[in-house]
Amino acid sequence: MPHVVTENCDQCRFTECVTVCPVACFHGDQTHLYIDPDVCIDCGACVPVCPVKAILDSIDLEPAREHWIALNQERAKALPVVRDKTEPLPTAAATRESLGL
Amino acid sequence: MSAVPITAAEQTVLGACPHDCPDTCSMLVKVRDGKVTGVQGNPDHPFTRGRLCTKTNHYQERVYHAERVLYPMRRTGPKGNAQFERIGWPEAIDTITSRWKGIIKEHGPTAIMPYSYLGTQGLVNGLTVGDPFFNKLGATISERTFCDSGACTAYIMTVGPTPGMDPESFQHSKLIILWACNILSTNAHMWPFVEMAQRNGAKLVVIDPVRTQAAQVADQHIRIRPGTDAALALAMMNVIIGEDLVDRDYVDNYSVGFDELAAHVRQYTPEFAAEATGVPAEVIRQLARDYAKTQPSAIRIGVAIERSAGGGQLVRALTCLPALVGAWRKPGGGILQLPLWAFPMNWPGLHRADLATPGTRVLNQWELARALAGDLGLDPPLKSLFVYNSNPLIVAPDQARLQRGLSRDDLFTVVSEHFITDTARFADIVLPATTQVEQADLMFSWGQLYLTLNQQAVPPLGEAISNSELFRRLARAMGFDDPLFYRSDEQLMQESMDWTSPALQGITMESLKEKGYARLNLPSHDEYAPHAQGNFPTPSGKVELKASMAAGGNFVLPVFRQGSNDHQDGGPVHALPTFIAPRESQPASAGQGARYPLSMMSPKSHSFLNSEYANIRRQRAHAGEQFVMIHPDDALSRGIAAGAAVKVENSRGAFVAVAKVTDEAMRGVVIAPMGQWMSTSRANATPAALNPIAYADLGRAPTFSDNLVQVSLA
Repeated sequence: MPHVVTENCDQCRFTECVTVCPVACFHGDQTHLYIDPDVCIDCGACVPVCPVKAILDSIDLEPAREHWIALNQERAKALPVVRDKTEPLPTAAATRESLGL
Repeated sequence: MSAVPITAAEQTVLGACPHDCPDTCSMLVKVRDGKVTGVQGNPDHPFTRGRLCTKTNHYQERVYHAERVLYPMRRTGPKGNAQFERIGWPEAIDTITSRWKGIIKEHGPTAIMPYSYLGTQGLVNGLTVGDPFFNKLGATISERTFCDSGACTAYIMTVGPTPGMDPESFQHSKLIILWACNILSTNAHMWPFVEMAQRNGAKLVVIDPVRTQAAQVADQHIRIRPGTDAALALAMMNVIIGEDLVDRDYVDNYSVGFDELAAHVRQYTPEFAAEATGVPAEVIRQLARDYAKTQPSAIRIGVAIERSAGGGQLVRALTCLPALVGAWRKPGGGILQLPLWAFPMNWPGLHRADLATPGTRVLNQWELARALAGDLGLDPPLKSLFVYNSNPLIVAPDQARLQRGLSRDDLFTVVSEHFITDTARFADIVLPATTQVEQADLMFSWGQLYLTLNQQAVPPLGEAISNSELFRRLARAMGFDDPLFYRSDEQLMQESMDWTSPALQGITMESLKEKGYARLNLPSHDEYAPHAQGNFPTPSGKVELKASMAAGGNFVLPVFRQGSNDHQDGGPVHALPTFIAPRESQPASAGQGARYPLSMMSPKSHSFLNSEYANIRRQRAHAGEQFVMIHPDDALSRGIAAGAAVKVENSRGAFVAVAKVTDEAMRGVVIAPMGQWMSTSRANATPAALNPIAYADLGRAPTFSDNLVQVSLA
C-alpha cells in the first residue's frame, strides 16, 4: 500500500517531489512521474510539496482512482529514475490553475 | 505553556514527535477551531528536514480515533474481556490509592511495581515521569532494559558516555558500515546523510542477516548468522593487527590495552569467524582492509545488535574498532551508538533515587511473566502493577505466561493509555492519557544533536491528562507533601537539564518556543571530531580496549533503573572483547535445534512504533497482516507456498502468520516483525509468545534474536 502519483501530475511535472524524496523512488517520462512501490518508504515528504496535490497515500484513493496503484508500479519499473528537479512543463501553470490550486 | 487560543484561522504550533525513535522530528501541528487538522515535518529542521514518517504523517487520526480512551474506567467483566464502565477522576484516584494503602499495610510497598518505558519519550512525560513518585512510595524498582542497555554498558566501558559521532557528519565519511541497523524503517531521517556520502563516492556496507532495503542499495551486503557478529568484528581486528594496518600513533596515544588485545585476538582468525558467522574468510579479510584503509570510516549500529547471548561483548568489539584504525581523527569517522550523552541531563533530579529506601528490591521488567506467575519466589509477591508508557503483553517475552499472570484476580492492575491495548484489557482501572498534541514536553534525542520543544496545540480530549499531571494527582492522594511532586510542566523542563552547561549555551526556553528546536552548542558536522585527540570520558581518559570497568562486574546504567545503583547484577565480565556464541541460535545446537531448527528475529515493523499504530486503519493497511519472512529453500522443504498461513512455534509458545517467501530472509533464519496486537491476530498471539526470558552478557539486554523456532503449515 504505497504512495502514488495521480492524474494531477499530467502535463505539469513540477518535480518538487523528487527533491525531497530520500530514496529516489520517482520514475518518469516526459509528461508524468510515477512512484516505485518497492522503493517508496511511505514517508510522505512529497505530499505537501506537490503544487498540484498529485500524490496520495493509496489508502486515501477513492475506488474510481485505485487503478493508479497498478499504473505507478508498472510505469515506474519501465521508466528511468528522476531525481533532479527540472523545469515544469509549459502547460504546468495552466493545469494548476484549472485545478484551482 | 501558555493557554491555547481558539480561533477560526488555521494556526501552526511547533511540536515534536513523541516516539521512541532516534530521529525526534520537529513537527508542525496545524490547528483550526481548537482541533488538529494535520501535522507535517518542519522543513527548517536540519536533521529531520520536513519529513515525518509513515507512522506519524496522520497523527491526528490517532488523536481523534473513535476508540481513544477519554475517561477513567473500571473493570466490569472478567480480566482480559475489556469490559469497562466510565467513572470520574476522583473515584479512579481514590480507588487506586486506597488499594495501594491496603497493599502497603498488608504486604509492604514493594508489592507494588511500576511498568513503563518510552511510550512517550519527553522529559516531562517520558522515561522518568513516575520515578520520584514510585521511589518515594517505596515500590519495587523497575529495571527497564528494553532498548540499548546492553550496548550502553559495553559502549561506556570502552569509550565512556560520549555522544560519539554526529549523525550529520556521516556525509563526510568515506566508508560506512550500517551494522544491524534497518535504517530506512527505524532511523530514516539519518539516511540522506548516508546516501550523500555514498553519492560522493563512499563505500556503503550493510552487515545484517536480513536483506533490508538499505542492503539492497548498498555497495556490499554481508549476510551474517544472527548473534555471531562479534566473531566477525574480532576477526577484523585479527587482520588489522596481523597485517599491520593499525594507526599506531592513535593507539599509542589514545588507547589502553593494545598489546593484550593484540595477543587476545590471535585466536579469532578469519577462518574461525567464517565458521561461526557463515561469512567467507576472504570477505572478512577484505572488509578489514577496506575498513582500515578507507578513512574516515564510520559505523552505525542498531539497537537490536545487543539481542543475543554475547551482544554486549559484540558492542565492546565494535566500539574498539575505530580507535585501532584512527577513524576518530576526522569528522565522519568513529562510531554512532547513542548520542543521548551529548545532552546535559539532570538525571538525579529526574529520577530522585534519593527518595527511595536504600536496598529496595529491583526487578527487571523482562521478568514480569515469571514474577506474576510466582516463579521468582518474590516476598512479598507483586500485588499491584501500574502500567504507563508501555504495553508489556506485546513487548515483553513469554506472552502466554504473562497473560496468565495478568489474569490473576488478586493482582490490582492500573493502565494509563490512549487505547484499550492487549495489556489494558486486563486492567482493573484504565486511565486516559493525552497524546503529544494535548501536552507540552521537552524532547532529548538518542539519534541526533537537537533539543526540541513540543508546545501544546489543543486542549486535552475528554478527561485525558498528561503523565506529569497523573503523578501530581497520585502524590496528592498519597499525602506526599514535598513541593517537588507538584512542579509545573515548565518547571520540570527547567529542572530537567543543566542549562549552565556549555552544550546549552545560547539556548533558552524562549528561543525554543520561538524556533521549536536548537542544535546543542557543539561544532558543526564538518568540524565535529570530538576524539581527534583522545579525550574519552573513561577512567583512563582513553579508549579502553581492555576495560577497567569490567572489574566491577556486569551492571545496568542507573538511567535504566529509576536512578538506583542497588542490587546490580555484578556477574563476571571479560575485560577484553570476547566472542560468546549464541545460546540457542547455533547451527550445531543439535538437541533443541532438531526440533526447532530455524532462528527467528522479530524486528520493528516499518509502519508501527512497537505496538503503537497497529490498531489504526492506515498503518494496518500499509503493514498488512502479521507475516513471517522465510527463505524459498526453507519454505520449499516445508511445503509452504507464498501467502500460506503458517504456525511459528517453539517450547514457549506459538503464533500464526502469513508466509512471505523471499530471499530477504537468509536460509535458516525467519523474520517476524513485532507490533501487531494479540486481539487482532489469528491465534491471539504475536512473536513475543516465542521470545525467551534470558539476558545477554551485558546490561541485561534481552536475547530476542537468539531464539530457535519451527515453522509449519497452520
